[in-house]
Amino acid sequence: MANVELSNINKTFGAIETIPDLTLSVPDGSFTVLVGPSGCGKSTLLRMVAGLEAPSRGKISIGGRDVTREEPSKRGISMVFQSYALFPHMTVEQNIDFGLRLSKTPTKERQKRVDAAAEILHLQPLLKRKPAALSGGQRQRVAIGRSIVRNPDVFLFDEPLSNLDAALRNQMRVELADLHERLKSTMIYVTHDQVEAMTLADQIVVMNAGRIEQVGAPMELYNRPQTLFVAGFIGSPRMNLITGEAAAKLGATTIGVRPEHIELGAHGLWKGRLRVAEHLGNETIAYIDSELGELIVRINGDQKMKTGEVLQFQFLQEHLHRFDESGRRIP
Amino acid sequence: MSNAASIRASKSNSILADLMSSKGQAVLLMLPPAFLLFTLFVALPLFDAAYYSLFKWNGYGTPTDFVGLDNFRQVLNHGIFWQSVRNTLIVLAVSLFIQLPLALGLALMVYEKTPANTLFRLVFFLPYILAEIASGLIWSFVFDGNAGVASALFKSLGMNPVFILADRHWAFLAITLVVLWKYFGFHMMIFVAALQSVPKELLEAARLEGAKRWEVVRFVQVPLIGAAIGVSAFFAVVGSLQLFDVVIPLTNGGPSNSTHTIVTYLYTFGLTRTRIGFGSAVGVLLFIAAVGVSIFYQRQTNRGSK
Repeated sequence: MANVELSNINKTFGAIETIPDLTLSVPDGSFTVLVGPSGCGKSTLLRMVAGLEAPSRGKISIGGRDVTREEPSKRGISMVFQSYALFPHMTVEQNIDFGLRLSKTPTKERQKRVDAAAEILHLQPLLKRKPAALSGGQRQRVAIGRSIVRNPDVFLFDEPLSNLDAALRNQMRVELADLHERLKSTMIYVTHDQVEAMTLADQIVVMNAGRIEQVGAPMELYNRPQTLFVAGFIGSPRMNLITGEAAAKLGATTIGVRPEHIELGAHGLWKGRLRVAEHLGNETIAYIDSELGELIVRINGDQKMKTGEVLQFQFLQEHLHRFDESGRRIP
Repeated sequence: MSNAASIRASKSNSILADLMSSKGQAVLLMLPPAFLLFTLFVALPLFDAAYYSLFKWNGYGTPTDFVGLDNFRQVLNHGIFWQSVRNTLIVLAVSLFIQLPLALGLALMVYEKTPANTLFRLVFFLPYILAEIASGLIWSFVFDGNAGVASALFKSLGMNPVFILADRHWAFLAITLVVLWKYFGFHMMIFVAALQSVPKELLEAARLEGAKRWEVVRFVQVPLIGAAIGVSAFFAVVGSLQLFDVVIPLTNGGPSNSTHTIVTYLYTFGLTRTRIGFGSAVGVLLFIAAVGVSIFYQRQTNRGSK
């Protein structure tokens, strides 16, 4: 186990500066999720930690050791790729113990570690199969198995669940959470899926255009977003962002209110017309064309609503978020 | 109707039904042209050659002088034929064990997509684009003992110039060198295409697992381009068996018939001497060898894909 420190990292590809100047601390044993839209630099950052890309400037330390110019295999890390990156000509067992064979680990020790990983990941019946004969979820488990046997200080995951269907993604998410609980290792996980970020992380790093927008615990980001970007990015359905007179009255350029913090009722201050309602069983998501713009409202349970119906609503004042003209939160 | 007759009738009905299906109609439409072309340009010449090989015939008129397997006996008792077989096997061995590893080594150096690599790939591929006759002529000038590059090299080393292509010890080595130079770019391009199709993540995963450059090549890249190596080896073997047009402008099989390959032997002792029956016998033997290689290759490929 080890902490990871990134100091003043800059990464430039030709004339394009992907990461201008980034400093981040990943605590020992934490599950840190890097989240952000495509092209925000999160995968590049992970690859720099792995040693697959060299930073143009800055320093990377793992467990207090400067590894900026160190070979990937000497950094004490392992990585699970989005495409799994399993060697198709090797069996599951050969894939898992590939690194151990290269490092000339004694056969007994190798077998012990492979068996332990196979047991944790329920891979015993699949050890003699080749990757082509496995399902997506099984391949993902093999990729994780290959990481586990090396006993790394830090696990790196690059969008590992992106290629799985929704049901399998949920299952693997739980398995990853279990794995972290069991191994207590430092894990850095890249995703653009904020549900994965919210459910897996103890620390979320929200990135935008190569910069860190906010670092914090999932609920901290949800309840107190420090920028407009984080406010709009974290949460599904997204936070309603309102500008104009309504915001100015509250001393802000933009106000934000989460869909569950809008109350429908006859005493509402504002009016709107229902454009569409999504009935999810446990909740109803209403899209309203209002005098404040388009708003999304989340209502508990199955609420019977008619398209075109006029609705009155008001905001729960204690849950309003205010942002200034630069998009920063007003305390 | 007896049982056997009813089974026959139902079988013929099902064949008819198959032919009437859309797949059957496609077969009826597509097969005859291909079958006709194959028969005219492959099967008939083969059978003709096999037929002529049983005659003593100069190529004019109809073959009448039937000699049975005598042409084959003559071929197999001819020392120069065995010399040509030996030479062909040398080219084959050089192609497989020197040319292909060299091509693979170079492909590993230039397969990544960079402007410099593109330039190198073009330079290495250029000899393959040149016509064989042109290549032969260029190298005959290079090896010329009076005014060639080799002559200048020998002179600069203070040695008497050697007429390489006229020397029994050196001539075939020179031909082998030209074959190596001419075709390594072709194999390199096959390997480059295959290497570019190996996902980058697999190489990165191997690096993360601690594989050094050589280990990445050995454990990841080479196994993953196995099919391309197989194809390349097949081309090398077939190309060696058919080697002809580089030899003719360089040595024409000389000096003293020491640099013949099987095909130049066929050409020289069969065609130019109007001994069509004899030449056909050599052709049949060459065909059998090529078929043997093809069957071996197919078996290996099938075994690999299981």
